[in-house]
Amino acid sequence: MATLRDACIVIALSVVVALLFNGLRGDGSIPLVASEAYRILVPCPEPVGEVEPIPAGEVRWGGARELVLDARLDHERELWMTDQARHVPFDFLEPVSDEALAELVASNAARVVVFGDGRVPDSGYEMARELAGQGMVNVFFVEGGWEAVRGVLQPSDPELQP
Amino acid sequence: MNRLTDWRGHAWVALPLRLYLGGVFLLACYHKILHPSSFALDVATYQLLPLEFINLQALVLPWVELFTGLMLVLAFRTRAAALLINTMMVMFIVALVWALLQGLDMGCGCFASEGGDDPISWRTIVRDSAWLAMGLYIQLLDRRPLGLDRLFMRRNDA
Repeated sequence: MATLRDACIVIALSVVVALLFNGLRGDGSIPLVASEAYRILVPCPEPVGEVEPIPAGEVRWGGARELVLDARLDHERELWMTDQARHVPFDFLEPVSDEALAELVASNAARVVVFGDGRVPDSGYEMARELAGQGMVNVFFVEGGWEAVRGVLQPSDPELQP
Repeated sequence: MNRLTDWRGHAWVALPLRLYLGGVFLLACYHKILHPSSFALDVATYQLLPLEFINLQALVLPWVELFTGLMLVLAFRTRAAALLINTMMVMFIVALVWALLQGLDMGCGCFASEGGDDPISWRTIVRDSAWLAMGLYIQLLDRRPLGLDRLFMRRNDA
């Protein structure tokens, strides 16, 4: 009984301190009740295939039959970009368009390597899975996303920077 | 049963468990207290709570983690702290199992919301279950914990 009482006291104390702390802090406080639904990114149930990771160092950069795709969105590419990858932005809520898919297939690449934002979930991994699910073979994703790619390429050409 | 619960060695077995588990909870609360909006987003991503309760949980839960973590480390009201920690662990495990069964591909949100280095998996559930087992040991068998509780018991006995 005493244990339960103590636990209730801790909860009550936590509520008071949490509300006080949230009320007193300026930036970073949040309303007690959210006014609108959170925009959460949960992958839609699209047909997906299995893909293997590949280290950025093992990508054949500039290889004739190697197609490298940058799956990041436009604003994510403002941080860094390379002209050695084709930009095909991946939207978690929209499948890759048929036109974009047809272009990729027409490239006749022997291997497709996708890199993305490197977060969880990684847009590169998700896009690679979607391409594999659409029937493309030899699709890989770069472990660590764009930061791993940048670590390998380290572009010194200022023209590559936005 | 009495023999099991009365064994004096439980306090020494529980001591490292208490310090470890308390440390885990202190580590877990830090980022959540400083960045409640990120943690609220993590809570929302599980899609378990109605919108009205998401922010409240995101605000209060880290403080419960802080207080219970401190209480475990100091052995102050240890059984109450363990009870709360075990309750939280059960909640976390249920949420994780639910998210995995739904096929949600997301970060755990257990420690740092940003960075996304902690994706949920069945390993996360095994880890949380191990922590729950530690918490249960402390709650059920650590009757005279080494720390403030024992100090107060001695004073009361004297």
